[in-house]
Amino acid sequence: MTIGIPRALIYWKRPQFWESFFESLGFKILLSPKTNKEIVEWGVRVSDPENCFSNKVYWGHLLWLDGKIVEASPHLSERSPVCDFIFVPRLKATEEKLEYCPKFFGLPDLSKILVKTPILTETFDPRKEKTEKTFKKLGKKLKKGSREIRKALGVALLKERELKEKETREFFEKIRSKKQKIVLVSHPYNLYDEYVNLRMKENLEKLGAEPIFIDEIPLEKSKVRSQKSKLINFHWEFGKEIMEKIQEILKYKISGAVEISSFACGCDAVLKEFVASEFKRNKIPFLYSIIDEHTGEAGLQTRLEAFMDTLK
Amino acid sequence: MEKPIITFARWGNYTVAFKTLFEQLGLEVIPPEKTTSQVIAEGARMAPEMFCFPMKVTLGNYLPALKKGANTIFMVQNVGGSCRQRYYGVIQEKVLKENGHQINFLDFRATPKDIYRTIKEVSGASFWQILKAALFFFKKLRLIEKIEKTAQYCRPRELEKGATDRLLSDFFSKLEKINKEKDFSNFKKDALRKLKGIKIEKKADLPKVGLIGEIYTVCDPTINFEVERKLGLERIEVHREMDITYHLKKIIFPWKDWVIQRKINPYLRSTVGGHGRDAIYEILHYIKEDFDGIIHLLPMACMPEITVRPILEKIHQESGIPFLSLSLDEQVAEAGIDTRLEAFIDVVKGYYQNKKS
Repeated sequence: MTIGIPRALIYWKRPQFWESFFESLGFKILLSPKTNKEIVEWGVRVSDPENCFSNKVYWGHLLWLDGKIVEASPHLSERSPVCDFIFVPRLKATEEKLEYCPKFFGLPDLSKILVKTPILTETFDPRKEKTEKTFKKLGKKLKKGSREIRKALGVALLKERELKEKETREFFEKIRSKKQKIVLVSHPYNLYDEYVNLRMKENLEKLGAEPIFIDEIPLEKSKVRSQKSKLINFHWEFGKEIMEKIQEILKYKISGAVEISSFACGCDAVLKEFVASEFKRNKIPFLYSIIDEHTGEAGLQTRLEAFMDTLK
Repeated sequence: MEKPIITFARWGNYTVAFKTLFEQLGLEVIPPEKTTSQVIAEGARMAPEMFCFPMKVTLGNYLPALKKGANTIFMVQNVGGSCRQRYYGVIQEKVLKENGHQINFLDFRATPKDIYRTIKEVSGASFWQILKAALFFFKKLRLIEKIEKTAQYCRPRELEKGATDRLLSDFFSKLEKINKEKDFSNFKKDALRKLKGIKIEKKADLPKVGLIGEIYTVCDPTINFEVERKLGLERIEVHREMDITYHLKKIIFPWKDWVIQRKINPYLRSTVGGHGRDAIYEILHYIKEDFDGIIHLLPMACMPEITVRPILEKIHQESGIPFLSLSLDEQVAEAGIDTRLEAFIDVVKGYYQNKKS
């Protein structure tokens, strides 16, 4: 049996976690390809026009898994679905009882409207139900016993931890580098998706900078409480995390900060105000850039070059 | 601390009731400015670009009041659960202070305890005084909602065009000045009698349209370009469930939410913040009641309403009921809305005729 996972939006919240979880349960995984032009175009076509860009990209990936986007060969358009299930979890809150973006809440229901392939889903809300129990329920849907689930969960968590440790090592290497360090502030689904962020990382590297993703900054669990931002206390998981990580990164010497937002992202409208004022207060140059399906790489390039010039 | 002079977020016809609430507590009040295109432009200029529309409008409403001398702003947060409304107060305070306004911003959670504490702190009123003011506030609120509901019924049936609206504007301006319990009960009797006196076609069988969507845009006629009145004058009966009482009832009696969830389970199995679930529930309800059209109002890029819109569209396709979704923001012009409404009215009337024959 094959389970399809769209490589967009919530996937980037826990990359590799879901793959290794299902793989160790003995399922085949079909991951949608890296975002490309076709996927974005299809996503934009089916999405509500006012939805945020990241959501539109997600719909594109779903359609790819549904077998709708066939590589430039129209006679194949009636191809049968390529996977048995598409996995779309309903993420509502984290273990720390912080909420995800409200647009995630409705993802499985909206996916059901959009695609023909059955959707595999489960609600993850530790405020109401222990995560372990949720996983057990997910296992029941896949006809797997609780022992198998626990084992798979262990494997997946181990994999995730390895990834985090590698990231942390890389982070300290980057900090030691002599280049100008630029912090990229955004959601993981904008940071790691190179098509969406118009290869921001590569472009910054070409300009001689050392980009650091806000996501990579390690936070020690015990320290978290003492580092509460003085400006605001978010009830959103990403908001709180980003504000805390900014506090952490400010301890090191950084030359500038860039924030990337998807167009029409409701949460970023709130977040940006506080991210900007946090950097401004510490006198760190700050560039804000909104991306959507019409953004051209050349335009962003020019802005990045100008931004880099101001740092010198 | 200097003496607090209160202003607050404007909200359609209900503004009158809020004003009385603060006055009853012995506070000095400068009501927020009426919403005009000027006010909206001012607010939008100051607010963060991507923020939702109601926040920009309420910000614009404060500004003239602040110029007149108000120094304290009341804002409720967390009205709708997970959505951005929670951060209105924080952002508005930040933006106003950055623009050089020296203000005291009272941003409190929408729980009875928190509201009581904040009011007590500002006004120094006794428990009984607060209770009395709150009761009077609810009485006024109920009357306003009752007048609105009756008007929705009378407007399409009136024999003399415009009679209902003339009465309505007269009522609201009078109601603003009433501060005593005794005057109020007299006014209430008088108002209801006058409303009953409007000459209407009793037997008229008219097409019915349901108004659903985000609470602020649905309730405030100055924001939604008087959709209710325009449809009424075209002889279409408008229904709307969303008002403050509906919202308060949902806070006090949580089982309303459970009922809603059970009804919409085939379409959406979770809350999406704000009144997202209610929109689906209402459209299903109106279809069951055999309505002839649905208008969905939302501020541009409102997170909960955008999430449920594809579901609403699916329901519309399944049932065939005419459906119009209007996103409102500072860029929208009245002429554009009017054109779309006119086309929609034609569709509704056609649908109604077809159904009858």
